[in-house]
Amino acid sequence: MVGYLISLAISIATYALFSLGLNLQWGFTGLINFGHIAFMTLGAYTTVLLSIKGVPLIVAALAGGLLAACLGLLIGLSTLRLREDYLAIVTIGVSEVVRLIATNEEQLTYGTRGVVGFPLPLNDGDLNIVLKVGMSGILTAILGISVWKLWQWMSQLPQGNHLKSQNRTVLLFSGYVFCLALLVLTLWLGLSVGSGFLALAIAPLGLGMTLPYFGLENSLAQIKTQSWNTHLALGFSTLAFGFAGMVYWANLMGLWENYNYKAGLLWLLIVAVALVFWRLQALVNSPWGRVLKAIREDEEVAKALGKNVFRYKLQSLMMGGAIAGLAGAFYAWQLTFINPDGFVPLVTFNAWIIVVLGGSGNNVGTLLGAAIFWAYDALTRLVLPSILHLDSARLGAFRVMLIGLLMIVLMMWRPQGILGKKEELTLGR
Amino acid sequence: MVDSNPSLPLLSANGLNKAFGGIKAVQDVNIQVKPGSITGLIGPNGAGKTTLFNLLCNFISPDQGTIIFDGKPIQSLACHTIALQGMIRTFQVARVLSRLSVLENILLAAPHQTGEKLQNTWLFARRPSIVKEEKQLRERAMLILESVGMSHMTHAYAGSLSGGQRKLLEIARALMADPKLILLDEPAAGVNPTLIKQICEHVKAWNKQGITFLIIEHNMDVIMSLCDHVWVLAEGQNLMSGTPAEVQTNPEVLKAYLGQ
Repeated sequence: MVGYLISLAISIATYALFSLGLNLQWGFTGLINFGHIAFMTLGAYTTVLLSIKGVPLIVAALAGGLLAACLGLLIGLSTLRLREDYLAIVTIGVSEVVRLIATNEEQLTYGTRGVVGFPLPLNDGDLNIVLKVGMSGILTAILGISVWKLWQWMSQLPQGNHLKSQNRTVLLFSGYVFCLALLVLTLWLGLSVGSGFLALAIAPLGLGMTLPYFGLENSLAQIKTQSWNTHLALGFSTLAFGFAGMVYWANLMGLWENYNYKAGLLWLLIVAVALVFWRLQALVNSPWGRVLKAIREDEEVAKALGKNVFRYKLQSLMMGGAIAGLAGAFYAWQLTFINPDGFVPLVTFNAWIIVVLGGSGNNVGTLLGAAIFWAYDALTRLVLPSILHLDSARLGAFRVMLIGLLMIVLMMWRPQGILGKKEELTLGR
Repeated sequence: MVDSNPSLPLLSANGLNKAFGGIKAVQDVNIQVKPGSITGLIGPNGAGKTTLFNLLCNFISPDQGTIIFDGKPIQSLACHTIALQGMIRTFQVARVLSRLSVLENILLAAPHQTGEKLQNTWLFARRPSIVKEEKQLRERAMLILESVGMSHMTHAYAGSLSGGQRKLLEIARALMADPKLILLDEPAAGVNPTLIKQICEHVKAWNKQGITFLIIEHNMDVIMSLCDHVWVLAEGQNLMSGTPAEVQTNPEVLKAYLGQ
C-alpha cells in the first residue's frame, strides 16, 4: 500500500510540475502550446544521457531544464511574432520533430530500444540517519505550510461565508483521521486497493460536505444560505488534506522502513514542486505576472502601454519549457527506462486536461487537476474491471472515452474549471 | 512637464504614406502637434485618421515618411519603445484587459517598473524596493481613479464596465503612463452626453497639467470646445488645417463631409 501510494504521488507530482509549466504559458500568458512534451523529452533525454556520462544528477537535471528553455527560445524566436494559432501548429510540429529525432538519432539516444540503466537520485542503498531526519523535517515543513494555506483559504468561502477557525481545524483533522481509519479498515477487511481508494475519495468528500450541517456551524440558517459550491469546496479541501496526509505518511514510511529509491524520488519531487509552485505564485502576482496577464487579455494594449510583448512571451515560453524539462528528468527517474514512445503528443494533451480541469491561470487548480487526473486513472484502472467485463484493450479505450465525457460534463457544469472564477467567463472583451 | 522648445512641434509627421494593396489609405500626410496644445484630427469616415494614428505609433509601419517626436525620429522604433518615449495611444473601440481589475489595468500602464523585469522578480518578487514602488504606484493609481470618479470600482473586473466607463478607464490608463502626448481615438463615440462632458473636463484639466493631446473625434461640439488647432483629412490626404472656427466655415471641409 505504501509503495502504491508513493508511485501514485510521484505520477501526480511529475504531471503537476509538467502542467505548471503549461499553465504559465497558457493560463497566464495565453500562448497556445500544443507541443509541451517537446520540452519534457529534451529534459528527460539530456538528464539521462549526461548522467550516464558521469555528470552529477543535479547538474544533469538542471542542464535538461536549461536546454528545454533554449528550445523555447528557438520556438519563440521563430514563431512568437506570428499570431497564436500559428504557435499552436508549430509547437505540435516541434514536439513530433523532437520525438522523431530521438527515435532516429540512434547513436545519441539509442533509438526505439530506449535508454536504460541510467543513474537514479538517492539510490545508493539505505540513507544515513541524518539525511533521513533532515528530509523528514523538510517534508513536514512543506506539509505544514500547505495545510496552513489551505486552512486560511477555507476561511474565505464564496458568498462571504466565514467558517470559524476551530471548525476548519476539526473538519481537516477529522477528514484525515477518517481517511486513515478507512485505509486501515479496507486493508484489514482484505478489500482491493481500488475499493479502498474509492472509499478514501468518497468518505472525506462526503464528510466535508455534510459535517457543517451537524452543529459545526453557528446556526442552520446560515448553512442554508451557503451554496452547493461552498459544500463542494469544503468537501474537496477535506479530501485534499486527507490525501496530502496519506502521501506524507507514505513518504515517511518509505523513507524510514525498507528504503527504496522511489521514496527518495517522491521526496525530491515534492520539494521541486513546492519550490516551483512557490516561485511561480510569487511571479504571477508580481508586476511581471501582471504584464503576462495583460498580454493574455490583449497584447495590443500591452504594446500600446510600452511593454515589450515579444520579450515577455519569450520569457514565459522559456520558463514554462524549463519547468517541463525538469519534469522530464523526474519522469525518466520514475520510469527508469525511457524511449521515444513515452513522449507522444497525448502527454501534452493530458497536461491540457489537467490545466483546464483545475482552471486555467490558477496554479492551485493545476495541482488539484493533476491529483484528480491521476485519481481518475487509478480509480478506473482498479474499479472498472470488476464492473465491466471487457478485455484490457477495450477497457483502456473506454477509460479514455469516459474522461472525454467527464470533460464535456465539466465544461457544461463549470466551464471555468474547478477553481476558475465564473464571473470571468461572462465578461465582455 | 513641457520641457521641449515651445516653438518646435512636439510631434511632427512629414510625407507619410501607407498603402494596403491597391488602396492608398494615407498619402503624403503631414501633421504637427504643438507642445501643450489640444489638437484635433477630423475627417469623414474612411479618411485615414485611425490609420494615421497606427502609423504614428508604429502599430503599422509607414511605407514612406518621417515622424519626429520630441526632437527624435521615431518611425523605425518598435511600438512599445515609442510608448516609453511618452506617446500613448488609446483605441477607437476601448480595449480594456477584461480579466484584470480596474486597478490592475491602471497599474500596468506605469512605465519602467522594477518588478516588471524578470531578473528583479524571479528570486525576490517581494523585495522591499518592489513592494515600495508598487505601493507608490497604487497610491497614484487611486488618485487618478478618484479624479475620474471610478474609485468605487477599483476591484471590479475591467470587463464588467460599461462602454463609457471603458473609455474613461482607457484615458486614465494612458495618464498613468507618464505621457507627454496622448492620442485619443474617438473618446466620445458611443458615450452618453453627461459622460462626454466629463471626459472633456478631464482632458482640459490634464492639458493644464502639461499633457498634450491629439484627438480624433466626429463630435464637433467636442472638437469646438477642446481644440486649439484642427487638422482635416479626407480620402487619405491633408485637406486643410486651422483653428476650429476656420475649419467649421471652410467650404472644402463641408463638401468633404456632406459630399458634392
